[in-house]
Amino acid sequence: MSKIRELSELIHEIPDGSSIGLGGFIITRCGMAAAAEMIRQGKKDLTCYSIMGTMEADFLVGAGCVKEYNYAGGSLDRFGRLDRVNASINRGGNPTRVNEYSALSLALMFQAGSMGIPFIPTKALIGTDMLKALMEKKTDTVRMGKDPWTGEDWLYIKACRPDYSIIHANAVDENGNVIIHGPSWDLELAKAGKKLIVTAEKLVSNEYVKAHPEEVAIPSAFTYAAAIVPAGCYPTCIFGEWDFDAKALYYYSRVNQDDKLFKEMLDEYVYGTKDHYEFIQKVGGLKKLSELQVDSTKSYRIQDLSKPNL
Amino acid sequence: MEYSTNELMCVSAAMRLKDGMNVAVGVGLPQMACFLAKFTHAPALNLFYELGVYNPYPVDTGVGLSDPRIWYQCDYYTGFLGALGQILAGGHVDVGFLGALQCDKYGNLNTTHIKKSDGGIRHFTGSGGAADIANMARNVFIIQKHESRKVCEAVDFATSVGCYKGGNSRQENGIPAFEGVTVFTNLCIMKTGKESGQLELQSLHPGVTIEQLKENTGFDLIIPKDYEITPEPDHEYLDILRNVVDPKKIYIK
Repeated sequence: MSKIRELSELIHEIPDGSSIGLGGFIITRCGMAAAAEMIRQGKKDLTCYSIMGTMEADFLVGAGCVKEYNYAGGSLDRFGRLDRVNASINRGGNPTRVNEYSALSLALMFQAGSMGIPFIPTKALIGTDMLKALMEKKTDTVRMGKDPWTGEDWLYIKACRPDYSIIHANAVDENGNVIIHGPSWDLELAKAGKKLIVTAEKLVSNEYVKAHPEEVAIPSAFTYAAAIVPAGCYPTCIFGEWDFDAKALYYYSRVNQDDKLFKEMLDEYVYGTKDHYEFIQKVGGLKKLSELQVDSTKSYRIQDLSKPNL
Repeated sequence: MEYSTNELMCVSAAMRLKDGMNVAVGVGLPQMACFLAKFTHAPALNLFYELGVYNPYPVDTGVGLSDPRIWYQCDYYTGFLGALGQILAGGHVDVGFLGALQCDKYGNLNTTHIKKSDGGIRHFTGSGGAADIANMARNVFIIQKHESRKVCEAVDFATSVGCYKGGNSRQENGIPAFEGVTVFTNLCIMKTGKESGQLELQSLHPGVTIEQLKENTGFDLIIPKDYEITPEPDHEYLDILRNVVDPKKIYIK
């Protein structure tokens, strides 16, 4: 049976209060279409995870969908900051409680989750103020422990299995085999999810997968369902398909500094469009996308990266 | 040959990166110093980014770690687990090269938040892989501006651990032993002492006075009698830095 479904129908299945692993990294392979659909459907009280901070998390936090966000810090690279997340931290966890880790500690949490083991020992986080804050907040996700052989001190990171993981990928086949090109920072997070939802740029045949099995980063056994969503990461980039839209990212990192501007942006681009296709049409349609199209050898377009006057 | 302080910091950091070293690096001046070393005396240096990009050869300047511009022509793709969980945690990283908002006298670094005078905080970026790199690399290098509120007695938030609370406290608290934190600033080069676990002056930049250094340091810096004067950057290195490593002058101003 095909695992390919409509995005809106898949997002509809996610109950309020769910925990969700988000697969994006800063401004790369962010599941923007999935996040926008969660916002349109008014999801509430989500607990979100990502390894590094990622744009779709800032988007969801800004829209008030997120009760708790766990990440290792992050930004929008030179475009700006995750200022909806930062504003929540600066306001003492309002509307979103934020727990900060390091990149490796989160990756290990998902690795343990994906392996079905209860925890992983590591030397990450020891001595840091992130660990101090996690202990003070009693998240109970980290504990000091001993090496049973030598008695040496280690940090035990508790396994994490989010209810859903949502990632954006280059391609998927009907069975749910997932193709990812470029670096793949999100595999452990994807495999740890109790239900993995994939948005993919395109559908490929299973014959293609059998001819190129080395391209499959996640085999179908992990995949709950997938939706075909071309440019589902716009305005962020995806290796081998689209560059980011620099102008749109400068615009976003201006409006995410201000409650009112952010709300107006949501009204216009998210609530004001019925789905991803209407949104892409609104931001310039195929013409805009043609300016961002790339190949897998040189995965970017020469574009003006200087800050425009906004 | 005239040179800027950014160029001097970059060249002096590059001189301490040896051929064959494995370096975990971020964007900006640390990346420029790595490429300068690679294109001169250290062609077999391996550098990688925490997200899982190993030995890239970028030709266009990117906006940050998540930009495929700086992943261009790499040798190997992996993820955080392959990069930080294996190359780093497996003990293969000679130098972790980081940036920071603040650095304290024990070489602890802050990239998370600054405390405001009204008691609130202003949150910036957080750790990413920096804390992991500081806990597990054999050496930590940082490049930063030398001002008393940035090179300070105590950081507002300890994101990445250097010599922790000085002396032997790092190892005593279960953090792997390392060779120390080396700080390259616009005034000097400092390194945490093996015994003291505190920053000590190693090399003063040409034209900088000890008074100037003291004025801009937020703690009582240990100044040994035998400190050096940083050599002026070599012409060939400056030429490669300007024309090959950063031809668009994005980082080297």
